[in-house]
Amino acid sequence: MRTVNQRISPYLYLIPSLILLVAFTYYPILSSVYISLHEWNLFTPEPKFVGFENYTILFGDPLFWRVARNTLVYVAVTIPITMAMALIMAILLNERLGWLRNAYRVAAFYPTMIPMAAAAMLWVWLLNPGIGLINHYLASFGVPRIEWLYNMDWALPAIMMTAIWKNFGYFMLIYLAGLQNLPGELYEAASLEGAGFLHKVRLITLPLLAPTTVFVVVVGIITSFNVFDLVHLMTQGGPGNRTNVLVYYIYQHAFRFADYGMGSALTVVFVVMILAVILVLMRLLERRTHYEV
Amino acid sequence: MLKDRRLRYLGRSLLVVVAAVGLLVSQASAQGERLVRLTFYYPVGVAGPLARVVDGMVQEFNAEHPFIEVVPVYSGDYDPTMMKVQTAVRGGNPPDIAVVEISEFPTLLAMGAIIPLDDYIAQHPGYIDAFFPAFLDNSQFEGQVWGIPFQRSTPVLYWNKAAFAEVGLDPESPPTTWTELADYAQRLTTRTGTDVTRWGVTISGGWNDWLFEGFVRQSGGQLIDFHGQEVKFNSPEAVEALEFWVELMQGLKVGPPHSTWASTPPDFVAGRTAMLYHSTGIMTFLKSSADFPFGAAFMPANVTYGAAVGGGNFFIFKDIPQENQDAAWTFIHWITSPEKASYWSAASGYVAVRADAYELAEMQELVTEHPEYLVARDQLAFGHGKMMAPVYQRVREILKSALDDAQAGLVSPRVALDRAQEEMERTLRSWIQTR
Repeated sequence: MRTVNQRISPYLYLIPSLILLVAFTYYPILSSVYISLHEWNLFTPEPKFVGFENYTILFGDPLFWRVARNTLVYVAVTIPITMAMALIMAILLNERLGWLRNAYRVAAFYPTMIPMAAAAMLWVWLLNPGIGLINHYLASFGVPRIEWLYNMDWALPAIMMTAIWKNFGYFMLIYLAGLQNLPGELYEAASLEGAGFLHKVRLITLPLLAPTTVFVVVVGIITSFNVFDLVHLMTQGGPGNRTNVLVYYIYQHAFRFADYGMGSALTVVFVVMILAVILVLMRLLERRTHYEV
Repeated sequence: MLKDRRLRYLGRSLLVVVAAVGLLVSQASAQGERLVRLTFYYPVGVAGPLARVVDGMVQEFNAEHPFIEVVPVYSGDYDPTMMKVQTAVRGGNPPDIAVVEISEFPTLLAMGAIIPLDDYIAQHPGYIDAFFPAFLDNSQFEGQVWGIPFQRSTPVLYWNKAAFAEVGLDPESPPTTWTELADYAQRLTTRTGTDVTRWGVTISGGWNDWLFEGFVRQSGGQLIDFHGQEVKFNSPEAVEALEFWVELMQGLKVGPPHSTWASTPPDFVAGRTAMLYHSTGIMTFLKSSADFPFGAAFMPANVTYGAAVGGGNFFIFKDIPQENQDAAWTFIHWITSPEKASYWSAASGYVAVRADAYELAEMQELVTEHPEYLVARDQLAFGHGKMMAPVYQRVREILKSALDDAQAGLVSPRVALDRAQEEMERTLRSWIQTR
């Protein structure tokens, strides 16, 4: 009796989350795969099976490759900078700075607390080429006027800047939490051996923070790949699709163009892409990470 | 007797509930009349507190009509509104009334989402004839009228009179031809080194596809022939228009290659640009914000003046109860009366959709004081229906993307438009084939 109970009870406990996962994750993914094999749009109101045609069209479309490239550039640039800033701030703010420490912590974390829509609109004004504060200050350093969101080359960097400003506080908080857990005796020992601040950071802090870093990387990649709100609010993918990213492209197809087949094909490609990137990174990072201290 | 009547009403209510699950139909009121509640999606396509004006008009309507309650739902600007309508229709829960961007008409038709309004229009002799004909171009299909003009506009050219005076141009004469436009723009552009401190002319981004259509009309061409089901994105007239744009932006460098629809009115107000192509719908915003005298004029001509009309039309949806459709018509008829049309025009800067609205005393007073309000109306003589086709959102993205690339100087106007044409033919192949 007890053994049966023991065998069944874990599954019983899993049922609530299983139901939610099936309803909101597994079923939609499978159904996306199914719809992606159909032509289903305004001209074909009833889904018609077309095999991999949606994928063929997609991979043959230069715009898709531009969107994919924009997304990868966004991920590849924002994550390292966000992480570096978060880590440096966390290490500095973990030092004893007296009452200033909390003030700095609040200052660094505050962008994260602003609603995304408000932050995006704030930056639209800050970045306004004519009357925005950023160009105003840049001009006082003699930097020529930049058209930011109006410009094909500067629009994506401008969005990345906003994202970094908005997100690094969150990762800083996670790093701070990680830092609080590091054993003090190691630092004491290092001090006795005469190690300086930078030595300690390089030889103790960074290696011991590796598990936190894995978490930050994975969460960072997922949030970066999912960037939508900033693009939607600041540029709507423009000018000339230079800020169009995968999730926004999916939204355009599925909701604006009412092309459900293509929207689903894009979703499938997106899921595969994000899983692949995470798998590769986990492999790389896990090899160097030790979870016990 | 009384019990009988109640029973009958109960029966009827049940029928309605069965027929339209999810629709809120209220119980019999004291007089035995049922209150009809209507959902009304409306967008605000231009800057300014217009949502409040719409809400105010709806409240007035509700107060005058005890058995109809219109519930206004602000649905963002035009693109999100269409998206909400599309999703609601697909989900089997359409709004009763919506104001939708006029070029979405073929998409709504293809979805089978809306009803023709001819039977209602026939109840009011002379009603439809009062509307400006150019505004009805985007309402008609196969001899029937499906949409009623509401917030309608044409693009106009705004010019900063102070800037004109400053560079020795006559502040009262805006450019009337493309050549003059290019000439004036060069004189109005100010630079420190290579840095432009004031642009000569800004052709607003965001809806540059709509402004571009006007330029094509000014060259005597057309982008999409809806009734002939033909796409002409790479016609000689279109190429000529885009070449002129690229000349302004890349050749002479007197206009910014890219901008957004919402940010250019503040740019004009801040003196960042001396001339601005934008909707007439921002007139009231400019009036309340600019601290310099400015004017509004016809868009300059190439071989002719020309403009594509713009804005939103009322549509009534299919698959809602008959009494909702009837009530929806009552509302549309009420809010497009000459009095309401002129009130709405004055509050927003949109063109009053019917000619007789301009005969009203308050409208007369307004236009005597501010003749700019008449510019867009008079330009209607050179106005054409806006280009439209099914999946218009896609059509728009294709054209915008081609324009953006050419405006940046990345591809030649001809190549950009050839590519757009090709993509259009691929996207609309099933529509073009049914010709």
